[in-house]
Amino acid sequence: MPAGHGLRSRTRDSFSRPFRKKGPTPLSIYLRTYKIGDYVDVKVNGSIHKGMPHKFYHGRTGRVWNVTKRAVGVEVNKQVGNRIIRKRIHVRVEHVQPSRCHEEFLQRVKTNDKLKAEANARGEVISTKRQPKGPKPGFMVEGATLETVTPIPYDVVNDLKGGY
Amino acid sequence: MAFVKAQKSRAYFKRFQVKYKRRREGKTDYRARIRMINQDKNKYNTPKYRFVVRFSNQDIVAQIVSASIAGDMVLAAAYAHELPHYGVEVGLTNYAAAYCTGLLLARRVLKALEMDEEYEGNVEATGEDFSVEPAESRRPFRALLDVGLVRTTTGNRVFGALKGALDGGLDIPHSDKRFAGYNKESKQLDPEVHRKYIYGGHVAAYMRTLEEDEPEKYQSHFSEYIMRGVDADGLEEMYKKVHAAIRADPTPKKSEKQPPKEHKRYNLKKLTYEERKAKLIERLNALNAAAGDDDEEDDD
Repeated sequence: MPAGHGLRSRTRDSFSRPFRKKGPTPLSIYLRTYKIGDYVDVKVNGSIHKGMPHKFYHGRTGRVWNVTKRAVGVEVNKQVGNRIIRKRIHVRVEHVQPSRCHEEFLQRVKTNDKLKAEANARGEVISTKRQPKGPKPGFMVEGATLETVTPIPYDVVNDLKGGY
Repeated sequence: MAFVKAQKSRAYFKRFQVKYKRRREGKTDYRARIRMINQDKNKYNTPKYRFVVRFSNQDIVAQIVSASIAGDMVLAAAYAHELPHYGVEVGLTNYAAAYCTGLLLARRVLKALEMDEEYEGNVEATGEDFSVEPAESRRPFRALLDVGLVRTTTGNRVFGALKGALDGGLDIPHSDKRFAGYNKESKQLDPEVHRKYIYGGHVAAYMRTLEEDEPEKYQSHFSEYIMRGVDADGLEEMYKKVHAAIRADPTPKKSEKQPPKEHKRYNLKKLTYEERKAKLIERLNALNAAAGDDDEEDDD
């Protein structure tokens, strides 16, 4: 009998709970709030059978576009053939985690705003643009001694002594 | 033979998954807790308050709690051991005391939120099913009953506390099916019976029968009541006064506590990270100094 291609086929490992973390899910999952526009990771919790996304979306990250009573709507990119479609799925909150992909950007926005405000107070104009790492600066090599290497004439007797 | 075979090996312990701590202690039903705490996601950060009632052997705890990731936040709490301030000193875990504790908590919460003028609740406890009517300006304070691991039978003291909170003015969704005095056959609550329980009528009846039939048992069982001069006929009056006192001033009374005594330390105090690092540097220096001396001796 051939293997089927059902909804949850090939999910034996990805949907299973991690070692020694089976059973009830921690309550903090239910206490998190999601706003429209947040980035979330979709990670299936195999012990909650309702509101599971399709296995394709396991491990994808998208933005929240809808918030309902027990689920969030997530907009995820999916490549179909030669194009990428923005797919809208609804997923229960147990299968969703807040994503940290955007965290660094938001932190940078905060620090930049602070720097700009300070510079404005002082009356100078600063650029908060990120610059790429340039080439390494030049340096002097320390402790270099000169060793001249010259060829020596081939000495048959001594060299053949080793092995023949 | 049998004893040796049934041994738990290291492999067993390596694979063993412990249940949550409060489940191991047998104190929390996580299945019920998840369903109680879960707030609709489209209500975002609106808190969902639970009216928590727990009984110990000598005390009753009633709290209004909301859940957060850092831990549950208690908005207000009332204990049966506070009831002596309001005039009842004995029978602190009976149905009447549970009613008083629920009432005290409700008045406390409403006073803290400045809603106590609007929502008086049921001033005269009649035992009938009473639900708060929404007033003009604000909606009533809503909480959900959290009984814990108690078996919810008809006439349980938990529902006495619930009745107290309802009469105090809280909006708690409920049905009268589990109040003391509900008749399963006729499917109706008998308010007279419930009123009896709220005013300790069942305790008074037992006191009267014991006094007549078994005076020695009466003396031993109700010794505290006798000591304070509480008798069967005065119970209802006493509880009426307590209800009035609670409504008059529900604020908690702060008691003066001395700072705890300093005890002698019997074991070594754990060192901090800095202290341990400093100790290590000292040891290394001592070692190097000793090694240095040895080298000098060898050279000589």
